[in-house]
Amino acid sequence: MRHIWQSIKSLWRSKWGFKTALLYLALLLLLALVLPLLPLPYAPNYLDLRHPFLSPFTAAAMASGHPLGTDGLGRDLLANVLYGARTAFLISLPVMLGATLIGVALGTMAGYFGNGGLKQPLHRVMCWALGVPALLYYGLYLPLNFSKWDLGYRHAMLSMVLLLGLLILLWLVSTGLKRWFPYWRKAVALPVDKAVMRLTETLTSIPRFVLILVLASFIPPSLPLLVLLLVFTLWPATARLARAEMLRIRQLPYFEAAQSIGNRPARLIWRHALPNLAGPVLIAFTFGLGGLLALESSLSFLNIGVPATLVSWGRTISSIRSNTAAWWLVVFPGGMLSLTVLALYTCSYYLSQVFSSKSSL
Amino acid sequence: MVVYLLRRMLLAIPTLWLLGTLVFLLSRMLPGSFGEERFLNPEASFYSQSSQGSREAAFIEYRQRTGQHLPLFYFSFPPVSQPNPHPEAAEEQPSPSSYSYLLPQFTWNGTSNQYHRWLSGILTGDFSTSYRTGQPVLEMIWNSIGNTFWLLLAAMVVTLALALELSILMAKKRMQWLRRLLLPSLFVVDSIPMLVLALLLLVLLANPDFLQLFPVYGMGYYVSESLSIWQAMGQRIQFMALPLLALVLVNLPYITNQVYSSLKASLQAAYTRTARAKGLPEHLVIRRHALRNALLPLITIVSDFFPALVSGSILVETIYAIPGIGRLLIESVLARDYPVLVAIILLVLVVRIVAYALADTAYAWADPRIKRKLA
Repeated sequence: MRHIWQSIKSLWRSKWGFKTALLYLALLLLLALVLPLLPLPYAPNYLDLRHPFLSPFTAAAMASGHPLGTDGLGRDLLANVLYGARTAFLISLPVMLGATLIGVALGTMAGYFGNGGLKQPLHRVMCWALGVPALLYYGLYLPLNFSKWDLGYRHAMLSMVLLLGLLILLWLVSTGLKRWFPYWRKAVALPVDKAVMRLTETLTSIPRFVLILVLASFIPPSLPLLVLLLVFTLWPATARLARAEMLRIRQLPYFEAAQSIGNRPARLIWRHALPNLAGPVLIAFTFGLGGLLALESSLSFLNIGVPATLVSWGRTISSIRSNTAAWWLVVFPGGMLSLTVLALYTCSYYLSQVFSSKSSL
Repeated sequence: MVVYLLRRMLLAIPTLWLLGTLVFLLSRMLPGSFGEERFLNPEASFYSQSSQGSREAAFIEYRQRTGQHLPLFYFSFPPVSQPNPHPEAAEEQPSPSSYSYLLPQFTWNGTSNQYHRWLSGILTGDFSTSYRTGQPVLEMIWNSIGNTFWLLLAAMVVTLALALELSILMAKKRMQWLRRLLLPSLFVVDSIPMLVLALLLLVLLANPDFLQLFPVYGMGYYVSESLSIWQAMGQRIQFMALPLLALVLVNLPYITNQVYSSLKASLQAAYTRTARAKGLPEHLVIRRHALRNALLPLITIVSDFFPALVSGSILVETIYAIPGIGRLLIESVLARDYPVLVAIILLVLVVRIVAYALADTAYAWADPRIKRKLA
């Protein structure tokens, strides 16, 4: 980890492009964070119906307090562009973090264990195979139904108690099996790698944008659901990367040495593999963040999956459809979007130069 | 080779079935169907003049017509996944006094369920009808696939030709200035999202306030039958120019980068040195020796290109109002027209499978070593 910090610092000192991009991103992030405290003349969703389609920097625009002009409903462009940055980061940072976490976890597991590395005794496998459906049914499905039907807490509590009882019973049965029947003690290998790879293949066999659009049509437009949906469709890319890197790391001599002195798998992955993985994952993170910003604005441009009240660059851009002469509606938010994506790609480019030269040594 | 291709096709069928089933079930299971919004919502519907009762009657009739009154799958478990045929019976709750719900009960629905109907329909080539327009889904897709196909094909050809020529130019020794200029500008173009790029082109090149060079929106007006094929094409090209430009600009940076780096790698190879040593001029070295070997990775790029372009054409078709698959997808998403959506997903999957099979064939054709391995 310290190595990564050092290489970022040396990049900062030597490459002005990296420095500019990082400074821009940091300023934008800071602006997005303190934005509610700033004294803006108009709120982003305020409709100033007396001034629709004001051109920017004209006398009328300056006089009415909309320096960057307004859209067809008189919403202030400056406030929309600034708050759009806030929304963009608010959506894409958690999504990318979640997707990276899931992807790295599953990918390293798949790369480390392979198809025969994770061995579990048969009784425990049975315990999980029966326990998870029970958990889903009594712990998730029934309580959700009860809250939907408004049946009160008594029934939900009852199903929880039943779930607890079932799990205890399952545990007792499996320990009994283990003690008295040697057959159940036989270890079976779980094909982790195959399962993860099949899952990623299935998810990536449809172009991501199409998949997101189709799935977004099934759910009601809301921000948390959209974030979940994006995480669900984005993790396979990181998982593939993490798996490939893990396969590479597993071959390295230092890792073999760490394995041979008897480290546990969890410690091996956490202490010895993850720090070496972090560089490539960081590159993919910055690169993916840029793509995600574009994706989010495309979704809000199409008004799919996001509520119409959400301030966003995409929504502002989409208001040009009623008046194509209003160039400022594309140029300002689109310019901000392109600049941000460019900054992220630049960071990713410099990072990849550092880390790929290191891993090839 | 044929056996290998057949095996790959057969292996792709389970994926196709699984994804199709998943999308179908998800589309039906989640709450809020197409009809519910239109028929039952007293505020925003066409039926706003009528009473609640007639609205519900219309809804029931509609569900019967589209087969949505049937249970979803071969088995279902009550309390909720059983769709109630009468909306007014929605208050029917599992009675709180009995605790029978604590045991999951499976009810067997037999073959008269939505999934069975859908699957057997697809196997016999019937993709059912759209909720939104009432047309057969296959017909809707067939009507819009032509525009998308030509647009994508033209974009692919232009992009590849440009990428090849640009990277050949950049690979030459004297072209240092071009490299210096082109690589960063391609990097900048790459970071402009498709949405912004397409709209900027629209604002700059098809706008009375700036330059009105191209006609936009749609694929042209009525064309009389008497026009020759070239005249009709000439008229279409005017309308296709801007969408084509947008697609090419978005895809060019990545493809040029890939081609250029593989060309650079093959310029380092031993056979290039030999070609140079026997005194070939540089452009022949590149075209005859380096480029042919650099083209192999291009096959993968092209086979990835077509499925990826489908998602690229969604935005372009929406912005330039071209009646193609992407626009159909967006309209169906906005109207929750599930039969069309499921059919489009299946179509995209089939296109992808075919593209990969073609790529395999092309590899075997281009490199005899691979052919021997596959046989």
